[in-house]
Amino acid sequence: MAEPQPASIHEGADPDAAEASENPSVPATADDRKAAAALSSLETHGGAEDEESGRKKLNVDADALGKAMRNLEIVAGENRGGAKGKEEVKKEEVKRVKVEAKDVVLMVEQLDLSKLKATDLLKAHDGDPIKAMTAYVTAPV
Amino acid sequence: MPQQLSSKEQSLFRQVIKYYESKQYKKGLKAAEQILRKNPNHGDTQAMKSLIQNSQGQTDEAFALAKLALKNDMKSHVCWHVYGLLWRSVKNFEEAIKAYKFALKIESDSIQIQRDLALLQIQMRDFQGYIQSRKTMLQQRPQIRQNWTALAVAYHLAGELQEAEKILTTYEDTLKQTPPKSDIEHSEAVLYKNTIIAETGEFQRALDHLEAITKNNLDRTAVMEMRADYLLRLDKKEEAAQAYRDLLARNNEYRAYYDGLEKSLGLDKSDKGSRQKLNELYDSYAQQGERIDAARRIPLDFLDGDDFRKAADRYLRRMLTKGVPSTFPNIKALYSNSEKKQVIQDLVEGYASETVVNGSAEKQSDGETSKNFHPSVYYFLAQHYDYHMSRNLVKALEYIDKAIESDPSAVYYNMTKARIWKHYGNLQRAAETMNHARTLDERDRYMNTKCAKYQLRNDENDKAINTMSKFTRNETVGGALGDLHDMQCIWYLTEDGESYFRQRKLGLALKRFRALYDIFETWHEDQFDFHSFSLRKGQIRAYIDMVRWEDELRDHPFYTRAALSAIQVYLLLHDKPEIAHASLANGVPDMDGMDANERKKALKKAKKDQEKKEAEAKEVEKKNAAKKGGTGADGEPKKEDPDPTGSKLVETKEPLEEATKFLTPLLEMSPKNIEGQNIGFEVYLRRKKYLLALKCLLAASSLDSENPSLHEQATRFRMTLSSLSEPLPEPISSIIEKNFTLLPKSTDLVAHNEAFLSRHKNSPRHIHAYLKVRQQLEPTSQSENEKQMQALLKLENIELEEAIEGLLLLDAWSSGAEVKKAYVDTARERWREASLFPAAII
Repeated sequence: MAEPQPASIHEGADPDAAEASENPSVPATADDRKAAAALSSLETHGGAEDEESGRKKLNVDADALGKAMRNLEIVAGENRGGAKGKEEVKKEEVKRVKVEAKDVVLMVEQLDLSKLKATDLLKAHDGDPIKAMTAYVTAPV
Repeated sequence: MPQQLSSKEQSLFRQVIKYYESKQYKKGLKAAEQILRKNPNHGDTQAMKSLIQNSQGQTDEAFALAKLALKNDMKSHVCWHVYGLLWRSVKNFEEAIKAYKFALKIESDSIQIQRDLALLQIQMRDFQGYIQSRKTMLQQRPQIRQNWTALAVAYHLAGELQEAEKILTTYEDTLKQTPPKSDIEHSEAVLYKNTIIAETGEFQRALDHLEAITKNNLDRTAVMEMRADYLLRLDKKEEAAQAYRDLLARNNEYRAYYDGLEKSLGLDKSDKGSRQKLNELYDSYAQQGERIDAARRIPLDFLDGDDFRKAADRYLRRMLTKGVPSTFPNIKALYSNSEKKQVIQDLVEGYASETVVNGSAEKQSDGETSKNFHPSVYYFLAQHYDYHMSRNLVKALEYIDKAIESDPSAVYYNMTKARIWKHYGNLQRAAETMNHARTLDERDRYMNTKCAKYQLRNDENDKAINTMSKFTRNETVGGALGDLHDMQCIWYLTEDGESYFRQRKLGLALKRFRALYDIFETWHEDQFDFHSFSLRKGQIRAYIDMVRWEDELRDHPFYTRAALSAIQVYLLLHDKPEIAHASLANGVPDMDGMDANERKKALKKAKKDQEKKEAEAKEVEKKNAAKKGGTGADGEPKKEDPDPTGSKLVETKEPLEEATKFLTPLLEMSPKNIEGQNIGFEVYLRRKKYLLALKCLLAASSLDSENPSLHEQATRFRMTLSSLSEPLPEPISSIIEKNFTLLPKSTDLVAHNEAFLSRHKNSPRHIHAYLKVRQQLEPTSQSENEKQMQALLKLENIELEEAIEGLLLLDAWSSGAEVKKAYVDTARERWREASLFPAAII
């Protein structure tokens, strides 16, 4: 290696991509940039390649992208709300099922299950250990 | 507060990172130590140093130092990040996720940490977490396409198809113009979106979308296949037929296309009415070219009677005249139909009696092919009579000798001869013949592999590894065997392990099975790199396939095989712990014949011998290692195996827990494997997990209610239940009684057993089960059982393997030596050529 190169340049990257350094995500100061680059390649060099492919995307309409992002957030927000709503419903349903700790212990002991799985299984059968264990043992192949 | 460094040391720190990236670990360490001399408690530097140490294989030191670094600088994201990386490198992903989350709390917009976290989340299949991470990453950098695609993948894998599609569409809408045709990432992404649409079941929409993107798509085959599939599903038969014809024009040997074409033409192989049309269809394709095989072979599947005879005659003559070696494997699928089997046998026997002079005009015009004809016919017949559905080994041997006579140096003829010996049960001769075949072409790796396998079947482990070493990289640590481990050569490890199991060298057997277990573990971990790699390369469809494959990795037949054997070993170790020590001596002395004192002595001696041998082996290995510098396939230093003979594995205190490790994935991934359910019962019964034992019984019974092992196990289960020293607690016992309807409490077990026998009077395995049960119910019946066992050898349909199982059963009953000898003598009379009766037992 003759000269140290800026961290953002990679062997074989196409030259005009390297020119387009107006990438907004590139940190402002040289130090920061170095640190970020260093960190980004701590384990893999994927991060830097991310940038590379990012720069190739000159085709993207920035305005449209901004709009898309805003839409996405709204949608995501709505969705999250929706999902939460559903989750809450589910949670309430689940909460209504009371699971006794001793039943969980019994199932872990008898069925070789993890605590989490045993709890889920119990909940799915209204907290009734006999029903839950019967269902587990007789489950069709 | 983050610890500050002077500017000189800051630049030094950056160098440390650079050295680490470029894998110049020594320089990196030096620089790190230089910083630490002035700032001994600088957390970030300590963290970096520990990372370098870890890369050099000093895992324990690395962890110690990383913890120290954290203590010095709890608020540094670098320290937490490194801590996560260390956990990740030892595959403890849960701890790694925790550490990353801490790092992210401190440095919430670090792209790198966020990405590492995301990778772990998808590895652990935490879909909701992955969606969150991917959302964050997209918000940080919306201009990069793969961030959009990745979020779509996250939704897709979490099962939220609509959301996934929406994300992809949103991104596409931001493009100013359609990317050029050369943009692979785009081409793949739109095709990926199409598969998502298809998964929602809206085939019309998928079809419309597909038509819109066809023009610019690079994966022409995939597009055409998907289109044909959608058309067929939408019942647009005419168009579908055309689509399949187009595909056949590209590849006229691919059966799936023919199947698709049949369906779109409304034809059905099992329906007699459509056979005429089918025949015409395939004929028209066969006309298209002299070399097309599929169109000539497929009609043999549905034709019958005279039509079949004519078509088979034409097909066989064509192949045999050409001398195609794979003719028999091509044909043998038809043998499940006994009529067809007979027709083929008659036809080819007929060819064998034709003389060369009477050959057809076509053959005379081409001297070369007519020379091929007879040897090919002999070869075919040898394979035919060797095949288990049409076996007649005497004839097989006769024909293969004729074939070899015509061309003594033909590798495959000699290979088939070895296989015939194997089916005779003469493994010695099989291995020798295979070795001869191998020497005919020493550069043929397939033959080399075959030869090693036959040597392993003959329990010649040293010879086999020597054979393998002709194609391995022998400077690896551990030599040829080490390389086979590195190359994850699972067939070899399986055969080697099973061979050691047969020889009752349980340590080595377990060693191999554990290695297999670890290889599957590695395959599971291997997907890690692809979570980022596939996105970067834009190969999303292949990535999704891979993720789904990984989820079912252990349904692989090789896993099943290794797990079954390993569990058997552990069961043996549980039932007869003394074997662990005996097997150390590489042989099983007759323990039962000694008194306690002698036994102790023998064990002691065995252990001593073993230790001595190990010490010697270590000495040799050390020398070798010193000579060769010992590096792995990837050039990285490798740790020496501290327990090459597996003696530690054999001495496990918890064989049943170890067995369960193999068992759980087996039952989960291959629940339809009845042997798995059988062996699961054995493990759970010994672990006193009666509900789970019952579960295995019920599963086995739903797979095959007359399974011999099931019969024996169900009876044993009933007997165990009624002889428990203290009754099972409620509600366990009532759940069992309610669901164990195979054998209700009131059953008269003896009568039940007799009824079982009367249903299966002619099946050796079922009679074995019957005898096993009777032995348990009435231990006094042993001599009668032994007699019946021997009488079984006279049964018309008993196979060699079943005879061996009988011998093992006698062994399990601790029958007298003269009983076993009489049994073996009778068996040898029947299988004169067999060398198979394990010496360890006789």
